[in-house]
Amino acid sequence: MAGNENSGGMRPTAPQNNPANVSATGGNGQSGQPKPGYTGFAYGQNGALDAQAGAAKMQQAPTPTAAPAPASMASILGGLMPLDAESQDSLPISDGVDTGRGRGSSALPPSVNGDTRITENIDLMKKYLPDLLDAARLPGAPDSYKRLVNYVKARLI
Amino acid sequence: MKWVENNFFDHLDKFGNSLGYDNFGVAVCLSMVPWESPQDRDVFIMTLTGEDVKGGEPSTFNPGSAVM
Repeated sequence: MAGNENSGGMRPTAPQNNPANVSATGGNGQSGQPKPGYTGFAYGQNGALDAQAGAAKMQQAPTPTAAPAPASMASILGGLMPLDAESQDSLPISDGVDTGRGRGSSALPPSVNGDTRITENIDLMKKYLPDLLDAARLPGAPDSYKRLVNYVKARLI
Repeated sequence: MKWVENNFFDHLDKFGNSLGYDNFGVAVCLSMVPWESPQDRDVFIMTLTGEDVKGGEPSTFNPGSAVM
């Protein structure tokens, strides 16, 4: 006996087998009560059971609540001290910065304001130059070392 | 006395030429490190600069060169 095409079984084209058929709300969008669709009970009882199931109170999924609104910028900055506020020495706390009513970066000491590497290099060159010259005169001193010593000498002249 | 490897002046030759003359102060400080061997020092320089070590090698030493 040939089987009926619509007799059930696994159909690859059935909607439940289509991966694209996914609820956009992830299951949270379902509303209302489920209707079980009772069958097989005595005549007239199927509808009564459906009505009873529909009337039963079911717990709803929690509704996501919106995040609290961020505090305004004014309230965030309200507790901060302005740059022009005076510090204990009657100077604004912005003193040394190129903004506000302070003196600006010109008030900073040279060691903070400038690159001290050149100064340190010169000091080291002065300190070591006599010994560097003596070593440069040793037999077998490489040319690269002599060029370095010549550079040091030229910087100090 | 003659030029020898693995002393302060040899280290200064390698660090000064590898790091550049403008970094003379750094080269002096690194030359004071008691390096285990010239090879250890050269590995450090190559790691630091990503280039070969610059400076004199024993085979290129020229006793006839003069300092200004």
